[in-house]
Amino acid sequence: MKTHDVIVVGAGPAGTTAALRMAQKGLKVILVERGNVPGEKNMFGGMLPHCPAGEKLLPRFHEEAPWERHVVKRTLCLLSETSASSFVFESNRFDRPPYCGYTLYRPVFDRWYAQRAIEAGVTILTGCLAEELLTQGKSICGVRIGRVNGELRAPITVVCDGVISLLAQRAGLRKALEPGDLALGIKALFRLEEREINERFGLVRDQGCSQEFIGCTKGVRGGGFIYTQLQSLSAGLVLHLDSLKKSGLAPCDLFEEFLAFDPVRKLLKGARMVEYAAHMIPEGGYKSIPKLFGDGVLLAGDAAGLCYTNGLNLEGMNLAIASGLQAAETVMEAFQKCDFSAKQLGQYQSRLQECFVLQDMKTYEKSMDLLRNDRLFSVYPRLVGTIMERIFQADGKPRKKFSRIGWDATKEAISVKDLISDLLKGGASLL
Amino acid sequence: MITEHIFELASYRIDPDAHITVNREVCKPCRHRACTFVCPAGCYQWNESNLRIDFAYDACLECGTCLMICERGALAWNYPKGGFGVRFRVT
Repeated sequence: MKTHDVIVVGAGPAGTTAALRMAQKGLKVILVERGNVPGEKNMFGGMLPHCPAGEKLLPRFHEEAPWERHVVKRTLCLLSETSASSFVFESNRFDRPPYCGYTLYRPVFDRWYAQRAIEAGVTILTGCLAEELLTQGKSICGVRIGRVNGELRAPITVVCDGVISLLAQRAGLRKALEPGDLALGIKALFRLEEREINERFGLVRDQGCSQEFIGCTKGVRGGGFIYTQLQSLSAGLVLHLDSLKKSGLAPCDLFEEFLAFDPVRKLLKGARMVEYAAHMIPEGGYKSIPKLFGDGVLLAGDAAGLCYTNGLNLEGMNLAIASGLQAAETVMEAFQKCDFSAKQLGQYQSRLQECFVLQDMKTYEKSMDLLRNDRLFSVYPRLVGTIMERIFQADGKPRKKFSRIGWDATKEAISVKDLISDLLKGGASLL
Repeated sequence: MITEHIFELASYRIDPDAHITVNREVCKPCRHRACTFVCPAGCYQWNESNLRIDFAYDACLECGTCLMICERGALAWNYPKGGFGVRFRVT
């Protein structure tokens, strides 16, 4: 039996951040990771938006981390069976430091990040599953790991074991997750030459692009995405689990159909699929955040349900890093006071409320509800396509005003009652 | 089909012990059998001749979808032992 100041479970962005910070401040930290290397069990879309918390830990974080491309271009594409309507945003501002965001490979980034933690003095145990939390009275006092004499004890355990977080449930901090709290992400990595990627996506140097698609999931709530890495593309789908379960459709079939949509097929032409992955994403929003602290325990990252989308921003990794940092600050304060009770560790909640983490979760609480509207993923993308087709089509007859075309197409697609309800809800959630 | 090529598209170190077990008595009355279609690795199949769910854990991507959609609690679900299971290289 070994004693440490703090045990951190999970060497993802939340856990590694917490461990790194505490080690920098002189605590004896052990970081337990079930993968053989950090990042081996992650799935990631995606891009990390600019991350000031990373800079706070490592002054040259943005210069030195192993990024793939910096993202200068964001596209939202509404697909229907016959058409695609895209909104493309590019900014010169995003093309110079501090960059707006980066694409990255998680097995590469997580390993690099964990290496910084090791340099700071963190002991890391890889290939090691934290199976159970150890308790003493009502307080958590460590974890049992799957090794001989595998008990690690410490006054505080920071649990960052990811979205499913069996440990958070066992610590009594969270009830069992429901399909309505989650989305399934599936993704494949495609190899493609750098030159081809730059040409197809209109990029130069190490500029990157993110593309999101809706209307491509056969009415299942969710959407598709493509992200550019240097010499590869990540393409995948995110599907609300309750909606998927009800649909009776298989996610890999939906994925193959997504890849067959014309705009997607053209972008991926000749690219070779080299890896396939699936993962849960916390999509329950603010109301599904579990209790974030208990006696001797804190939750951070996906394990704490810290993830949101408002339709345009998709945040998870940034919240993980920021919550890991706040968890570390909370633990340091607890050590100064030699108080590891839930009352003391409750400071964590206040810290997250003071920074963007819980504020953003709260700001977009209602937009998460808006995204539970089935019509957003089927009726509306198709409607936009219909309107655009009618605007551009010439048939020898007199043209109608846009407003007339729009209103006629809308009436055909949706009842006035539903339309008004959607507009009111949409307005309330985003304005 | 992606699931047919899954062992080329993901690498594994397969744990000799299953990390997920299905309690077939509990899942017998289930009508939706959502596990047979939602699993992104296709680990669950309905066996029409034996009238039961067939489950093979070796292609599991450890996403947890099956655990979340099974409202009967028919699954004893754990992560594979440390160092085992799926290994994403570049994802």
